[in-house]
Parts: sequence; structure tokens; C-alpha cells
Amino acid sequence: MGIFGGNKTPKDDWSVMSTVIKAEAKLQALGEITPSRRAGVIYRNDESNSFQRDIKIELNEVLYVGGGATKTAFEIEDDDRGMRWIVLEDGKFGDLVSTVYTVGNAIGMNDGADNLLAAVFELYFTGTVEDNTYRSGLRTYWIYRYDRKAFYPFVPTGESEGDRDRPTEARLGHDLGKHGLTVEKSLTEWMGLWGIPF
Amino acid sequence: MSSTTTRKFHKDRGLVTRMYFTMFMLGFLYAVFALFLMQVAGLQLIFVGGIVGVMIVVQYYMSDKLILRSTGAKEVTAEQEPALHKMVKQLADRYEMPMPKVAVIDTAIPNAFATGRNPKNALVAVTTGIQERLNERELQAVIGHELAHVANRDMRVLAIANFLVTVTSFLMTMLFWNMLFGGMGGRRNNNGGGMMMVYLVTIVVYFIGQLLVLALTRYREYGADHTGAEICGDPGALADALEKISGAVNKIPDKDLRKLQTANAFLIIPAALKGEGSMNLFSTHPPLQERVKRLRELEQRMRYGLR
Repeated sequence: MGIFGGNKTPKDDWSVMSTVIKAEAKLQALGEITPSRRAGVIYRNDESNSFQRDIKIELNEVLYVGGGATKTAFEIEDDDRGMRWIVLEDGKFGDLVSTVYTVGNAIGMNDGADNLLAAVFELYFTGTVEDNTYRSGLRTYWIYRYDRKAFYPFVPTGESEGDRDRPTEARLGHDLGKHGLTVEKSLTEWMGLWGIPF
Repeated sequence: MSSTTTRKFHKDRGLVTRMYFTMFMLGFLYAVFALFLMQVAGLQLIFVGGIVGVMIVVQYYMSDKLILRSTGAKEVTAEQEPALHKMVKQLADRYEMPMPKVAVIDTAIPNAFATGRNPKNALVAVTTGIQERLNERELQAVIGHELAHVANRDMRVLAIANFLVTVTSFLMTMLFWNMLFGGMGGRRNNNGGGMMMVYLVTIVVYFIGQLLVLALTRYREYGADHTGAEICGDPGALADALEKISGAVNKIPDKDLRKLQTANAFLIIPAALKGEGSMNLFSTHPPLQERVKRLRELEQRMRYGLR
């Protein structure tokens, strides 16, 4: 039995989201990326929802109290487009992913499933593999869309809408799929998130 | 010792098998059709076939000039296009083939092609559109692919394969008018039913031949992708170029996820209903997605040394 008991959130979030652990480990083993430690959950904040109104207190409870306590640190940030971010940091990628899941799950369980937009993971390439595409220090985001239950890569090249490196994204999406990540098949759904606060 | 022998490439076994099978089927179809014509229709039609054959041979030997004229491609010298020439030269050296002629077509449409019956008479052409749109690495991959067609002598294979299709389409038109106006040369009464029969068989042969040629084109295309990738050592570059040219990459939207309405969560249209993946059977080139997929797989194998 989980902390929340209910079974209202879609069940397969974890089975899809956890594929990111394997893909990350694979790329690490190949020496293509540096250890990843940051991620975030973005949702449409609803002040009439009591869990979301008291998000800080609630998350402190969910994340740090009781048997499933985690060491992942979190911060709350509001962006200029009316969305709230829970920014998370953890040196252990597996723990980071499970905390990201827990945060999304907690919001979803408390009547916020429709408010959830995405979970976002930040990954840097090392450029040690000589293939001209993933240059050293290339920052990529792997976005998990809650409504689509799939990941896709996002490589912004600027702050304004539409600034993104499409060829690199297309290629990365293919590579990540090969490494076991559940990748969104329809490219038209690969919507960006410009101005990610981490 | 000497390096003048033709370079050997790592071959895709299944592909080669399917290709030879298709060529065999074409040859078989040719022979049966020729026999049928001689038995049923008498020799005049074979004579027609001969004329078409001569036309094709002429076309085959003059293909580079014909294509230059019909596409508006202009041959360029090393002084006019030093970078392009250098790139073609480097790749030709890797194939150990003589330097082909280089041409440029002044159009914004991104494309490239190669022609010539053998490596000694080869020509490779690119459009200004493709030069502008691709980076050096991608353009190199595209030219590598075109030179692979030359090295694999695809123009010759396809010219021969196309012969039957051209003959039959010629016959089809001729027989149609022949039946409509009661025959040429005043021989009206002895072959009404026979003509109809010849006409029907010609149509069948035409369609089967067409399908076989399409299959052959597809195998040759995959083969050139493979050879080109090995020569350039970078299969991903051609995949990138194909995606760039086809605009597949441009499907990635400008839109910010935050603009998505929550209601959209319930309006998920399966990709299959959006018509992607149609038009596969009759496209001359194999489906682009399939080519990109194969190239990406080859890339993974090459990058991590798996075979």
C-alpha cells in the first residue's frame, strides 16, 4: 500500500518514467554524458487546490517524513508564464527520478492530475565520443509529458519560443530510443519549454 | 600491392540476395515475354522492340549529356566551385574511381544525382538549394551516396531493367491505337482476337516489370546508403541530411508546452491516423523513415564497434 492508498493516477507513469534511469546509465557507461543531478516538475498552479496551495509543507511531508524519506533537495519557482516548477537536485540519478515521480504522483493524487504538464531532466554531453553531433557541454533536456506518457529531447538555442536545435533533437530522440527510453513517436508533440528555471 | 583493383565493400547479405532475385525475375520475365511475342504476334513486334532497344542504347550512352540538358545542370570547373570539387575528389579517391564531372543546378529545391554508365563517364550534380541547406558533413554524405550509385554501377543495372518496361509501355500504346483503328499496314482480318490477347499480356508484363524495377531501385538505394556510409564513415550524416531535406525535422513544433490546453490530453490522435507512412509502395526511393532508421542503426554499430 502506498502512502496515498488510492489508485486514481494513471498506473503507467512509473513504468515509462523509469526508462530514463536505464538510458542515462547507458550513456554514462559509454562516456557520452556527465552525471545528471537536476530535474523539475512543471504544473499549472491552482490556488483553490489545498495541496497545491500548501505545496511546500506538503512536499516536506511527502519527501522527508516516514519510511520512503529521500535526500533529494527541492525548490519552488514560478515562471513568467503562470506555471509552477518544483526543481529537484540529487547526486544519485535513480533517487532523483524516483523523487520526480513521487512529486508528480503526489500532485496527481490530490486532484491535480490535469494540472501536471511535464517532468524535465537536464543532461550534459561530454563530447568525448567523436561524432560531431553532441559537442562537449551540450545541454539537453529530456521532457516527460504526463498527458502523452512519453519522453522527447529538447535542446533550446535561445530564450524565445521556437529557438531549438531540431536536427540534434531528432538524432538524440533516435539514440535515446535505442538506449531504452520511451520516446514520443509523433514529432509534432515535441513541444518546447523555453526559460526552464534550472 | 597495387591499389588499382576495385575496392571491396562490406555487403549487406540479405539485400544482395533480394537484389539478385529481383534481377533474375526480371530476366525471366523478359525471356518469357519475348517468346510469347514471337509465338503469338509474329516478328514485327520484335522489330519494334529492336527500335526501342536502339533508342535505349543511345540514351544509355548519352545519358550524361541528356541529363545535363534536361535538368539544366551546368558543369562546373574546379575554379568555379573549388570546395565542391575538392569534396568530390576526396570521395572519388576513397572509392578509387576517376574524378567524375561535377555539375550544379541552379534551383532552390534541394536535390542531388549521379549519372553515367560507368565510373569513367560519371557525373555528379547538386542543386544550389542543397548546397545552401546542408552543412559540409551532410553534403559530403549526400555526394558519397551518389558516388556509391556510380561505384555500384546502378545506372547500368537500372537502364537494363527499365528496358522491358519501356518496350512494354511503348507496345501498350501502339497496340491500343492499333486496335482502335483496325491495325496498320492493311492487315485487318486475321488477328483481332490475337491482338487483344497480346495487348492484355503486354499490360500484365508491364505492371509486373514495373513492380520489379521498383523493388530493384529500392535495393539499390539501400545499397548506396550502405556503401556511402562506409566510405564516409558517418552514417548519421546522411540520415541528418535526409531528415533535413525532407523536412521531417521541421515537424518539431515552435509551440511552448505551456500553451497546450488541458483538454488536449483527451484528444490524442494516434499517429497512424495522420497519414504518415502512406505512399510507400510506389515511391521510387524507399520510404525515407526506413532509410533513416537503417542508417541510424548502422551508425550505432559503427560507433560502438558492433557488427
